[in-house]
Amino acid sequence: MWNGVGDLIVAIDGVAYGLLLYTVAAGLSLCLGVAGVMQLSHGTAYLAGAYAAWALMHGTWVGLLTALAAAIVGGAAAGTGLALLLEAVPRHLDQALATIGVALVGAYVLTEVWGAEPLSVDPPAGLGGSVDIAGRPYPVYRMVFIVIGAGLAAGLWLVVHRTRAGAVMRAVAADPAMVAALGIPPRRMRAAVVAVATAAAAAAGVLGAPVVGPSPGIDHTVLLLSLVIVVAGGAGSTRGALVAAMVVGQIQTTAVAGWPTAAPYLPYAVLALALLGRFGINRRRSA
Amino acid sequence: MTSSSRARFLGIPAPALTAAGVAASMSLPWLADAYTVSLASYGLVAALVAVSAHLLTTTVAMPTLGQAAYFGVGAYTAAVLGQGVSSGLVQLIAAATAGAGAAAVIGSALVRTRGMVFLVLTIAVGEVARVAAEQAVPLTGGGNGLAAVPVSLPGGAELVHDGHVYLYILTCTLAITGGLHVLLRSRTGITWRAIADHEARMQANGFSVHTRLWTAYVTAGALAGAAGALLIAARRFVSPTDVAFSTSALALLAAIIGARSVTATVFAALLIVGVRDVAGAALPGTSPLLLGLVFVAAALARGGRGRRLAARVLRRPDYPPRSHPEGRQL
Repeated sequence: MWNGVGDLIVAIDGVAYGLLLYTVAAGLSLCLGVAGVMQLSHGTAYLAGAYAAWALMHGTWVGLLTALAAAIVGGAAAGTGLALLLEAVPRHLDQALATIGVALVGAYVLTEVWGAEPLSVDPPAGLGGSVDIAGRPYPVYRMVFIVIGAGLAAGLWLVVHRTRAGAVMRAVAADPAMVAALGIPPRRMRAAVVAVATAAAAAAGVLGAPVVGPSPGIDHTVLLLSLVIVVAGGAGSTRGALVAAMVVGQIQTTAVAGWPTAAPYLPYAVLALALLGRFGINRRRSA
Repeated sequence: MTSSSRARFLGIPAPALTAAGVAASMSLPWLADAYTVSLASYGLVAALVAVSAHLLTTTVAMPTLGQAAYFGVGAYTAAVLGQGVSSGLVQLIAAATAGAGAAAVIGSALVRTRGMVFLVLTIAVGEVARVAAEQAVPLTGGGNGLAAVPVSLPGGAELVHDGHVYLYILTCTLAITGGLHVLLRSRTGITWRAIADHEARMQANGFSVHTRLWTAYVTAGALAGAAGALLIAARRFVSPTDVAFSTSALALLAAIIGARSVTATVFAALLIVGVRDVAGAALPGTSPLLLGLVFVAAALARGGRGRRLAARVLRRPDYPPRSHPEGRQL
């Protein structure tokens, strides 16, 4: 049922939330689909980024840029370390174990440093207010986030589909042995993907902190939603991840506003429907 | 691999070891303090969940991170039933049936997927179960959890003493894992392993792969459900924390460390719970850190040198390792 401005605001919120989920899930999708590594510590990078925002931002632009730089550098370093660990455990199942362990240790360290209480992060000066959308106030930061998120999505698409690095990435996903034969070490490629993905998740944590703030347990929530998006959109497909993230973002915000008890279940319903659709198509193709 | 048909551990035949292990575990209540005994009770419960994860992860090669869902179904079934029926055996059967029923419904869809998609779907099932346990307040008590009354034996005696509870849980666990031991060596068990090794070939030979995998999934659900009833017997309390991801992750870890042996899976689960709770109690608040390090160490050990060492110590696994490269691997 359309109820005018209220629904419009919920819809815009859904776009912001969807783009936030996309910036985290796109990296995970590349890890799973392109680098071929099982990564269950991806939510920890988001949480660490969000804590970095809380510690460094203090509502200033300089703080935001510092936090962003710290998150990208720290995320890339942590991602490289994680990639080294994952090289030592080549099988997916062992990678799942190792990254569950990393997530547990990471969550412990973050809770030790910043405590178990949820923290709230203020957006930088000038973005803290709200704008009028058809007479209703709407937080400026979320509007700005939509622009940034859309920019990130476009940038990622360009990198994956229009650059040499992206072509190599897609080639690794399709045929790692062939890429290795061409003289490009798949190991270095995998490490680069994991490092970039972790840095992206940490950056998403900084940018998303004023929307979904740092608190213990957020790492798990973000990981679960990202996994849902990656599997629903098809691992390795950034386009599929974008569609799935937008659908999950929209459904989540709509449900939280209108049907809160169902909200936690709906992402999984989306996942089930997406898989049902995909397997249905496969069956028809193979028949 | 040795040509002997007897499984050995450090050169000792397995039946002798089993007998010694059962005798030692039976005598625990007379040897240890109440805290250790109740910890061991919980360890056995976690071990049974791990055994259910073993059935999926190892036997049919479909690693799962969602067995906590059926554990929760079993535990809440036993706790709710316990408000009217205190018989431990009735609760156990009802919980196993409820776990199997839930797995039958969910499994019918899940067994059509493989590998990473299956793993993520099981995570989703676990999460949905946890949220449901938190939200269905009238039935589950929500975040406050649900308290239960002590279970009673067929004769009518109530199990209140920690030692008695432990012996009851030990007996149930031994009976259930013994049953599984037999099942895994039956035609059904052999077919499960064959599907894990050569799915396409089994399909071509006329086996209904989906139905067989579904049967394995339902059996695993029943095992986890039964573990839920034992949780109620052990702790007389269940809350959404018991249904959390960490329960499933711990079960998967134990199943992977246990590799192809049900017994080793049980010991791995006991060891993990021991490390988490004993060391966690010695250094308060550090149990997630320790558990995390155990996960990483286990993965690293399996990745290289540790694996060869384990193969040398466990002279022969419960059943032969897969020799065919086409076998399914996540």
